[in-house]
Amino acid sequence: MTDLIPVTALGDATPRRFSAGALTLCENDAVAFASLALRRGAGRPAPFGLALPGPGGWAAGQGVAALWVAPDQWLVEAEGRAATDFAATLGQAAPGCSVTEQTDGWVAFEIVSQAGPQPLEALLEKLANVDPAGFAPGRATRTALHHMSCYLVRRAAGHVAVLGARSSAGSLWHALATAARRLHANAA
Amino acid sequence: MTRLAGGLIDRTQTVTFTFDGTRYQGHPGDTLASALLAAGVRLMGRSFKYHRPRGVFAAGSEEPNALVELGSGARREPNSRATTVELHEGLEAHSQNRWPALSFDALAVNDLLAPFFTAGFYYKTFMWPKAFWERLYEPLIRRAAGLGRLSMQADPDAYDKGFLHCDLLVVGAGPSGLAAALTAARAGARVILAEEDFRLGGRLLAETGTLDGAPAVDWVTALEAAFADLPNLRVMRRTTVFGVFDHGVYGAVERVADHRRDPGEGVRQTLWRITARRAVLAAGATERPIAFADNDRPGIMLAGAMRAYANRWAACPVDTIAVYTNNDDGHRTAVDLLARGVQVAAVIDARAEATARGDYRVIAGGAVTGTRGRLGLSAIEVRSDRGAERIACGALGVSGGWNPNLHLASHHRGRPLWDETLQTFLPDAHGPAGLVPAGAAAGAFSTAAALSSGAAAATRALGEIGIDAAPCALPEAEAAPWRIAPVFHVPGRKRAWVDFQNEVTVKDIALAHAENMRPVEHLKRYTTLGMGTDQGKTANVTGLAVMAELTGRTIGETGTTVFRPPYTPVSLSVLGGGDTGPYFRPRRLPPTHRWAEAQGAVFVEVGQWMRAQYFPRPGETHWRQAVDREAAAVRSAVGLCDVTTLGKIDVQGADAAAFLDRLYCNTLSTLKVGRVRYGLMLREDGFAYDDGTAARFADDHYVVTTTTANAGLVYRNMEFARQCLWPELDVQIVSTTDAWAQIAVAGPKARTLLARIVDGFDLDNAAFPFMACSALTVCGGLRARLFRISFSGELAYEIAVPARYGQALMERLMARGADLGVTPYGTEALSVLRIEKGHAAGAELNGQTTAAMLGLGRMVSQKKDAIGAVMSRREGLAGDAGRLVGLRPVEDGGAVVGGAHLFAEGAARTLAGSEGWITSSCHSPHVGAAIGLGFLERGDARMGEVVVAANPLEGGSARLRVVPACFVDPEGGRLRD
Repeated sequence: MTDLIPVTALGDATPRRFSAGALTLCENDAVAFASLALRRGAGRPAPFGLALPGPGGWAAGQGVAALWVAPDQWLVEAEGRAATDFAATLGQAAPGCSVTEQTDGWVAFEIVSQAGPQPLEALLEKLANVDPAGFAPGRATRTALHHMSCYLVRRAAGHVAVLGARSSAGSLWHALATAARRLHANAA
Repeated sequence: MTRLAGGLIDRTQTVTFTFDGTRYQGHPGDTLASALLAAGVRLMGRSFKYHRPRGVFAAGSEEPNALVELGSGARREPNSRATTVELHEGLEAHSQNRWPALSFDALAVNDLLAPFFTAGFYYKTFMWPKAFWERLYEPLIRRAAGLGRLSMQADPDAYDKGFLHCDLLVVGAGPSGLAAALTAARAGARVILAEEDFRLGGRLLAETGTLDGAPAVDWVTALEAAFADLPNLRVMRRTTVFGVFDHGVYGAVERVADHRRDPGEGVRQTLWRITARRAVLAAGATERPIAFADNDRPGIMLAGAMRAYANRWAACPVDTIAVYTNNDDGHRTAVDLLARGVQVAAVIDARAEATARGDYRVIAGGAVTGTRGRLGLSAIEVRSDRGAERIACGALGVSGGWNPNLHLASHHRGRPLWDETLQTFLPDAHGPAGLVPAGAAAGAFSTAAALSSGAAAATRALGEIGIDAAPCALPEAEAAPWRIAPVFHVPGRKRAWVDFQNEVTVKDIALAHAENMRPVEHLKRYTTLGMGTDQGKTANVTGLAVMAELTGRTIGETGTTVFRPPYTPVSLSVLGGGDTGPYFRPRRLPPTHRWAEAQGAVFVEVGQWMRAQYFPRPGETHWRQAVDREAAAVRSAVGLCDVTTLGKIDVQGADAAAFLDRLYCNTLSTLKVGRVRYGLMLREDGFAYDDGTAARFADDHYVVTTTTANAGLVYRNMEFARQCLWPELDVQIVSTTDAWAQIAVAGPKARTLLARIVDGFDLDNAAFPFMACSALTVCGGLRARLFRISFSGELAYEIAVPARYGQALMERLMARGADLGVTPYGTEALSVLRIEKGHAAGAELNGQTTAAMLGLGRMVSQKKDAIGAVMSRREGLAGDAGRLVGLRPVEDGGAVVGGAHLFAEGAARTLAGSEGWITSSCHSPHVGAAIGLGFLERGDARMGEVVVAANPLEGGSARLRVVPACFVDPEGGRLRD
């Protein structure tokens, strides 16, 4: 076990958290990511028993989840395993696939509403050109958010994850927190 | 008579505001214009060019005259239309374009000079001398003729943007818009109803006509309650849809907090991009004036506006009014104002057959030929078949008919069509796809016609997207036919204004005609008709009619100019989307950014990245001191640099090697596992475009690097190649730039330092030689990757760990290397080191250089094909004799200036005689002098020759000696041993 002490994508010792009205925004530094891509002509695996979703989809299984990112390619998530070599584990669970470590390629911000989907969808309106009608739980999409390329994942009706490039975590956090704060201020 | 009875204002509350420093009171529901009128204020501004007194002319966003400055300090906002400013407590407004005061404006002298200020005045007058235009004429003209003043301070308010989606967007909430929204929402469609006013209803709020026998406002109020129960309908008040863009996207601005004095933490305005499957244009119509002599005095306004002020806002600034009309609508004004106790001196109707609708005098077949009153109307001069007479009145309502607000329907080159019966332009069928005009915007001028037209438009629009909408019960309303006589102006010798804001008169149009500026687009530019902030909403059609009359063509044949977004002015702040200052654009921070900040680093923007440029130490007063120290430390001890920003791409697959062979001009398939090779990529046209390294971790697994600047471009090109050029190859790629923190450890003591953090990894030169790579663990089990590559020319490594550990690794290396003299270095020292080593970077890879020019011509493999390889051999490129060389000043202490052109000694310093240019230069601590790199014709064969570097921009020149591009350790012993 290394004695190096990691920092979060925002450069802090602990994940940042922010609330505005019914919305809570927090950095999820515990989730591990790995890219899973099929070799040419290979069959679709079911790593850890997870049925990999189709285009625009996100599927959650036991401790792992995956979102479709390209033909024959997924971003696999594993909650609480960021400190491990999850890519190696996934490589064993999906033999013959191209697996690439992505844990620190991304920053994950989890946005949860305490008052149902409405506040969350009001926030989404201010963030990205995504039609809430086509963005039900289980959907994921790649989109531009304040000039940053991100994945939006609808984990539940009142829960959206924003995955952005780790290096622009500060700008992304600013965009999300500012939008949430202003929404609350304008509603007040 | 100022405040009348009735109206849709809340008299239980009082709102205090100031205009030009004077305190006034109004009520919630007032606009600034209505409150001023109710306070008896007619004079609200001065005109643009002649500084003539002006009052409010309209009651909506089409207002050309009553432009004011709102707020003060940084919040001062010029050119605000008093007619759209929602009154609120503490509102501060000032008139503009006057000095010293609104009632006495010294520049009104311009009005006496009016004969000189005709159309084309600037074009004719300020031709000579040419040099005077920019420095003398233009500043003078701008000072004399203008609108409001900018605060010249940063906007303190917040703005944002957003995205909405709907089945049907309804633009405007007058009778047709309300009917359309109701029909669509009841059908279950997702509907957005956008209204620029703060209250729904449109003209229903301004008229006294009933719906189902009750006041129209009752129906609107009931409808608003019904709307609240329809979750699929979003009502957006204070929202102007200002443009139609491609693919059914509509731009809209919501004035979220303009009606508050201070928006606080919230946003002031929001820019919405609304993606609508279909839209109904229910934007209503704008009344147009009739042009007659001196028709711009305060108190003269559109008859419909006068009616709106009386009915909606209970405001009329005077006791006695008159009306001048060519249609039935003008009579409504007389009837409504009479009913509210205002005296109507006369209704002058251009139509000989006109009769009164109430107890007032009608002058049938009459015309207003002039007006009186210095700062406000006192009388009008009327001519009819019974002769001329002067009629005393303080206000005159003018109605020359109505122009449908078809602007959005024209945004995709839709061309309005002239309707002779209605005497107006109507939207044609070739406007934006999916946009259906309705109501007055489509020429349905009666309330009944507007209601049914709106419902029908919604049904039609939804039907096109497969949503059946059943007809809704609509209230019974007035259905008067539209009767109008084609009267646009009253001929006369005096000036008659057509475009009030831009001071275009009938005479100006006649002059444009006389000078052959007859096509409408020429007319517009020559006279500035329709070029004000109001875009000529009350002026354009009248102007076209005057030109049509002069040319003898019909108005339809004369045509209109092109309407473009925005429909009404949109502030740049909201168009910018709100992000300013450090958040104007996203920033990318390397993993050691916080650490570098703590070290006092100076940062530099490299694309979106913020990189440490150098790390000044106490006592260092010039950046060169820090950079020289950092570079020297790398040459003599060991330095650390965060190089995470270089692009990293993970390439896997059975055909990974073949894939890279096709992308890079050199061969990478022969690279052994555990080794790294320099790679050069060419563009399709054969020029070099990016370089980097390729590390092979397995037969089917490479990690390639790119330059920082081209990381995205190279990845995109790789994806294109993988998906489109060679889909048959088994290759998978993923960017890992952000995933790994990468730190360069460079200098003769690099191995010693690294040995202190690796977990039992053999760093011996034999076990891990130059250009080796390996996965390993460091610091007690942390997975890492090690590359023995060197940009500085020293013994050097790059060590990569998961990004979250990057900062801790840097701190660990600094701590463990303290006794070795470990020194962090930034991009400036990095650049010095690579120039000393003769390595190419962005300044050399500028898109104009070939592999041969870089001295890498033999890297372009003849044994295989790769992108750009064939094109690199074409005559134009292969024949380029420029070669990368090193340059040193001949004289001691001489400078090497980047960008300077190189000439043979004695040669003429012309562009044609240039033999190359200096790409990079620096002070070299290693050499102890300025050095440079550059491309020189046949440079490889001119070692030792003296050339002249000329810098015509700054006027200097210097003699430089041509030397090999590598200034340090040309044999490469340092990096290999």
